[in-house]
Amino acid sequence: MKTIENKLTDLYLYNTDLINEGLPSFIKNNRREALEAFNILGLPDTGNEKYKYSNIKSRYGLHNYEKYFSVTDSCCEDVCKLPVESYEINIINGFCISGLTVLSDGVVYGSLKEASNQYPELVESGYNKIADNKNDSVSALNTMFVQDGAFIYIPKGVSAQLPISIVNCYNAIENIYIFARNLIIIEENSSLKLIIDSHTIGESAYMINNLTEVILGKNAFAEIVEFQKENDKSTHLNNFYASQPENSNLKVVVISTDGGFIRNNWNVNLEGGNAETHNYGLYIAGCGQSIDNYTNTEHRVADCTSFEKYKGIVACSGKGIFNGRILVEKDAQRTRAFQENHNLVLDDNSIVDSKPQLEIYADDVKCSHGATVGQLDENAVFYMRQRGISEEEAKKLQMYGFMNDIVGEVKIAGLPEIINRIAGEKIESL
Amino acid sequence: MLKINNLHAVVGDREILRGINLEVNAGEVHAIMGPNGSGKSTLASVLAGSDRYEVTEGTVTYNGKNLLDMSIEERACEGLFLGFQYPVEIPGVSMANFLRHAVDEQRKCRGEEPLSAAEFLKMMREKAKIVEIENKLTNRAVNEGFSGGEKKRNEIFQMAMLEPKLAILDETDSGLDIDALRIVATGVTKLKRPDNATIVITHYQRLLDYIVPDFVHVLYDGRIIKTAGKELAMELEEKGYDWLIKEYR
Repeated sequence: MKTIENKLTDLYLYNTDLINEGLPSFIKNNRREALEAFNILGLPDTGNEKYKYSNIKSRYGLHNYEKYFSVTDSCCEDVCKLPVESYEINIINGFCISGLTVLSDGVVYGSLKEASNQYPELVESGYNKIADNKNDSVSALNTMFVQDGAFIYIPKGVSAQLPISIVNCYNAIENIYIFARNLIIIEENSSLKLIIDSHTIGESAYMINNLTEVILGKNAFAEIVEFQKENDKSTHLNNFYASQPENSNLKVVVISTDGGFIRNNWNVNLEGGNAETHNYGLYIAGCGQSIDNYTNTEHRVADCTSFEKYKGIVACSGKGIFNGRILVEKDAQRTRAFQENHNLVLDDNSIVDSKPQLEIYADDVKCSHGATVGQLDENAVFYMRQRGISEEEAKKLQMYGFMNDIVGEVKIAGLPEIINRIAGEKIESL
Repeated sequence: MLKINNLHAVVGDREILRGINLEVNAGEVHAIMGPNGSGKSTLASVLAGSDRYEVTEGTVTYNGKNLLDMSIEERACEGLFLGFQYPVEIPGVSMANFLRHAVDEQRKCRGEEPLSAAEFLKMMREKAKIVEIENKLTNRAVNEGFSGGEKKRNEIFQMAMLEPKLAILDETDSGLDIDALRIVATGVTKLKRPDNATIVITHYQRLLDYIVPDFVHVLYDGRIIKTAGKELAMELEEKGYDWLIKEYR
């Protein structure tokens, strides 16, 4: 019998021409190496320390996922979109349908495929430069199969006037296997506010493999807010890579509320002095859902700062996982790295795995980490009820309070209210 | 207003209240004093409806209704307020948001229209003055990072906002310095009306310099062993509880 890995390799080999159609050679040229890496690594199972709590391999085995090599159907209705004024990139099942736009200030946004043809040198300068195909087979698969996605370029000294949003619509055709890739280049002294949104049309099972590379310039600033809300049979594998030179500042906030199985890998490399990175997450896992965040923050040089805070609520046999790795290399003196993970478990059937993982090789650092797993505070519920608030409302109020500091980190106008609404609806449903 | 008859309550297999009898009428202030561990806080918690305790015997009638049949929030809506000995911190929930919920729900169950945002804010500003609480305190999370004095003042502030019929203040004076004690006590006095009643649970006589009680009860071993006028507090301050306990035995 063929292994899942064999099937995927065959799928690639039989369809190489289709996958490469219309793409420049630098994208094709990366595929061979990725294929080799994939063949060596295979799909990760729980024997892999990094994937200890989420069995990716068995998730692949659940369905016979099929790849569609061209855009399938339109599905994005306006009602799905977040009511925030932004420059939009519309992507359906990994294929961008909104072309490529160039603004007067030189900002480019739109289809990665089109950008790689129109601006090959620019795209090549960043494409696959920081994705770690050699050590992560899910990333390697993305590099093998990807055909399109979003491209954003902010030239030197420019601040995009509006946020840019990547609106991912997943048309859940039975067992579809989707790949999408985002490349975001933010030059020196520039800034970007980015919203990555996702939603599903349909109830069928499907799998997405997403990979985002964010390349910041010196003194560049980016705030990225990602919403993950898909159907409960979906499998979402998300790899995020960012490189930060000196004085750059990156903030990533991920709000995961819906989806069957979500695995995020947040990889951030601090490569220049005084770089600062913020990584925050809120996950609410309800019935049968599994939401797994793996963060890997590498302090490679001295004088960088990282803040990390993830908060989760799990109920109804839901599962929440946090594995936060912070690496402080030998020369990364005066590093400041702070990590927190807090969880509320609402019933006996739900599970939280929390694993801080600090590897510190420098001797002059300030690092802290903390993880808590607990229930709602009964004293607080009693206190609120004594003031006339119903038990149900008191519990909800406490959950809102619990997630409040994550929502408070989001500075893009209009988004905190939207997060409160989305998370509020989720809490109501628990 | 409140009639407690032969009230017994246990926690686990330990009986803490062993037959309390107490009647409180509108317009009255009752002080409950007594040594540590006599059951004062338990009485307050049982009246508020805490499920840590089980009532095994006796009745409590409140405004003609069976108090023990009501949920915690129903009691609150009926105008019963407990000023906590240890106010609870609720991270992430602002005082304003918390009180908004509390005031709205209480108005709802009394069949009153909800207040508009402007009305609510105006009310909050006015009531904050009673306990000399700073306005910015209301933007902070409930009791989080509040000093001991701020927490107690905040209890009286909430009492002012909710305008209860029966307020039970559980050791509201503990941990307060002289100034804070004055502010809290004056706040309580200002909130006194002919149609409401207050039960003050305290260790010390000094609170009663400000809040003058109509009755002083001494609770010991789960029972009220002595009831008298305000002069009893003075006597206790002087002589302690031992003489009463001996008399009782």
